[in-house]
Amino acid sequence: MDLAGLDTALLGGAVGGLAMAALLPLLSLVVPGPPTPLRHTLPRALGVLACLAAAALGARGLAGGSGASIECWPGFPGQPFTLGPDALAAPFLLLFGLVGAASIAITRDAREGAGGRTRLALHAGFAAMLFVVFATRHALLFLFAWEGMTLLSALLVAADPRSARARTAAFTYLALSHLGAACIALALFTLSAHASSFRFDALAQSYAALPAADAVRLAWLFTFGFAVKLGLVPLHIWLPLAHPEAPAPVSALLSGVMVKAGLYGLLRFVWQMPGAPPEHWGTVMLVLGIASALVGALYAVVESDAKRLLAWSTIKHAGLLAVGAGLAAQLAAAGQPVVAGIALAATLYHAIGHGLAKSLAFLAVGEAVHAAGTRSLEHMGGLARRLPRTGLAALIATLALCALPPLSCFAGEWLLFQALILGYSAGAGQLRLLAPFAAAGLALASALAVAAMVKLHGIGFLGRARSEGAATALEPPRDVTTVLLAASVLPLAWGLAAPWSVAALGLPLSALLPGFDVHTLQGLRGLTLQPALLQANSISPLAAAVLVALFALIAALWLRGGTGLRALRRSPSWSGGAPLEARMQYSALGFTKPLRLIFEPVLRGERELEVLEEGSPYFARRVRFRTSMPALLERLLFAPIVQSVLWVSEQARRLQTGSLHLYLAYLLATLVALLLWGR
Amino acid sequence: MMLDVALVIFQSLALVALAPLWGGVVAALKARMQMRRGAPITQRYRDLLKLTGKETVLSEDASPLARVAPYLVLGAAVAICTWTPVITTHAGLGFAGDLMMTVALFAAMRVLLALLALEAGTPFGGMAASRHLALSALAEPALMLSVFTLALVAHSTDLAAISRAVASSHDAWISPSHLLAATAMGLVVISETGRLPVDNPTTHLELTMIHEGLMLDVSGRHLAALEWAASVRQLLLLTLLANLFLPWGIALEPTPGALLFAFAIWLAKLGVFAVAVALLESVTARMRLFRVPEFLGMAFLLSLLALTSDSLLR
Repeated sequence: MDLAGLDTALLGGAVGGLAMAALLPLLSLVVPGPPTPLRHTLPRALGVLACLAAAALGARGLAGGSGASIECWPGFPGQPFTLGPDALAAPFLLLFGLVGAASIAITRDAREGAGGRTRLALHAGFAAMLFVVFATRHALLFLFAWEGMTLLSALLVAADPRSARARTAAFTYLALSHLGAACIALALFTLSAHASSFRFDALAQSYAALPAADAVRLAWLFTFGFAVKLGLVPLHIWLPLAHPEAPAPVSALLSGVMVKAGLYGLLRFVWQMPGAPPEHWGTVMLVLGIASALVGALYAVVESDAKRLLAWSTIKHAGLLAVGAGLAAQLAAAGQPVVAGIALAATLYHAIGHGLAKSLAFLAVGEAVHAAGTRSLEHMGGLARRLPRTGLAALIATLALCALPPLSCFAGEWLLFQALILGYSAGAGQLRLLAPFAAAGLALASALAVAAMVKLHGIGFLGRARSEGAATALEPPRDVTTVLLAASVLPLAWGLAAPWSVAALGLPLSALLPGFDVHTLQGLRGLTLQPALLQANSISPLAAAVLVALFALIAALWLRGGTGLRALRRSPSWSGGAPLEARMQYSALGFTKPLRLIFEPVLRGERELEVLEEGSPYFARRVRFRTSMPALLERLLFAPIVQSVLWVSEQARRLQTGSLHLYLAYLLATLVALLLWGR
Repeated sequence: MMLDVALVIFQSLALVALAPLWGGVVAALKARMQMRRGAPITQRYRDLLKLTGKETVLSEDASPLARVAPYLVLGAAVAICTWTPVITTHAGLGFAGDLMMTVALFAAMRVLLALLALEAGTPFGGMAASRHLALSALAEPALMLSVFTLALVAHSTDLAAISRAVASSHDAWISPSHLLAATAMGLVVISETGRLPVDNPTTHLELTMIHEGLMLDVSGRHLAALEWAASVRQLLLLTLLANLFLPWGIALEPTPGALLFAFAIWLAKLGVFAVAVALLESVTARMRLFRVPEFLGMAFLLSLLALTSDSLLR
């Protein structure tokens, strides 16, 4: 059977389908007509099918597909634009396809008038750009898609034009992203000027031919540019602003997939370049990764906006990815390719595991937010009972994001920890110093993330409804919950099948580390994850899950037997004799008060208490209480930069006096200067 | 093969069946030290039996999770038992889980308990869950660094492998790093099992309790499952302390004599722990909640020192 044709068909179908899904809603804006079901179903269906084709393409790539490619001539000099995913792109395409399909399938935009149709067009266009970023092998097309991805998602972030918060978010996002994109563009153009070609393989050759100092400079440019997308501290400040402002299905793509485009860029343009990554790159990534993990987890704990909490948690997981990549680079440099392979396998596995879990979290929480009419955890509550299916999906996502076995984030963290232990024993210089701190930092970050996720689900979904909106929330329609439940299977399956999932990443891993055999990570015919270097330590999420389920079942049957299968009784909660009110529950703010107090020296929370009406000397009748977490990094690091930019532009304005004579003098001066310079 | 299966079943059964006994022994010892008569050591079993016969009442606000979580917590505790070396370092179900899987399953139990506490929408549940998560967040780094130190010595994170490595070397246990890590682990165990001076296991004042507060809104067979899981978890942590840090007497080869001896030694170690805990709980008062971070900070510092001395002295 000829599968090359299949690959090409999948590739073409994915691009074409996404393009159609983006253009059809626009067309229906232009061509007036009655809103037929076809009009809003067709673009969505096309988008979902195209995403599934992309996922299939990714899966084929992981299985060693034939490497289909499509070329098209853009009409200006240079090589034709090439779309042809290779082994490294395959896992990212798989992730993109699965998340993208769920994200487009769940969106309600198509039914909501002209604004909704525009949003659907932007949504599908954004997905198409993401696909091209992963699929292209042409630097110019990569840059176009990279930029398109940023611009279209910024439009979606600013989708609500009345919200000042959304405008600020979109502006910060655009400013930082363009700084990053400028670095990437500079580096790519430098390389392609040397290579006189835009093809990735030619770029790698010209990188090898560069003088060492220049090559190192380019590698750092790439690192800066992609670290912005990955959301590493201190370039993360846009992420918790922008990700939550977009509609939830788009947030799922942003946090689940686009952040991984940063990792993809780092791996492709820093790791895969000959002779790269440069010295100290691993150390820098490791340190930034731990910092990001801690900052993300800590701010997730103190956040009470449900979607922003998830965005902070994305920073934590992006930190883990950076730790994995940095660790792998250090180990590879120290001549430990096998251990480096473990770290890299952890990185790739976790990139997908986190992508699946985080997008599910955004989709489910987004539905809950929609139903309750608020994003604040303080006004949610009781939703797991009112929206059982959405609640179940949210529960699976939160448990997965706590890195609990057997879900999708656990095995990645386990592999990372194994690599840390092995790296420490291998005793590579700085790693000996850093590994213990990395282990402790990751442990603290994981424990904090657990607190944050328990807060998200426990305060947002359990207990009593904390507002009118939450008390009257309705389960979303059947097709939406079906998508949610289907998407909840993914993190579960990726985690349960961890040894096989890691083995499936063999091709991209050996593309990154030639000679690395992923099967050294498997034991017992694939049932367990077992790095060959260590003695007998293995885990099997599947076996552990079976054991837990088995014993839970036995316990349930046995304990129920004692009461003769008597059904349980429901009764109102008892609260010390007083009638229970929703306000008596722990609030999201109160829930993390102990952690906030313990980390007060770092967080520097601000609170303000004003007594409005004195009842008696001891009890105020009405108070106004306000508390906030200042954005310390913005204040300490970015504010001075913004100030100095403003100062410079203030000075530059003096040149523009409005006097024609002065402008003519500028012309003359420039002319003379050019003549002198060109002499 | 048959022997392996028998050993797994025996070790798991021993842990699960004897778990309530240990708590009973500590309570009885404490009563003696405080010149009280106290309850018999089998009191915990009677409590469990009584609970299973009682009606199970669930809050009207509870979600479906509340009906599954108690059994999942107990299931997770028992699953850990299947790969914990109790009397022998012979493999067991070690392929399924290692030290990190154990730590992660403990975390899973913690998460489920905290969610369960928030189900009923009462203030006490929230209070307990909030404190529980804060304290365990601080205990986690110390625990991980102790694990790290152990894994370095044994070149593995497998429980049986660590136990074997420490037991079969003559001087591994006397190294400063091992002793420091053991002390750190001891402090973490005190905090995680909710004993004095971190938490008072016998308190009935809602404002001061953490571990008991998590289960305030649970009743009947659900409470029985949770109580049992808590005692299994406690015994597991003590067994880990005994068999990973002080594994003398554990059977390296499964011969009948060695196994019997190991069983006796294990019981003796647990007895020593019980006396130590009873003594400690009789002479110390509970710490103020916001002093506990210092206590756990000390554990973290000790485990960091353990790792540093390991890399300096090797």
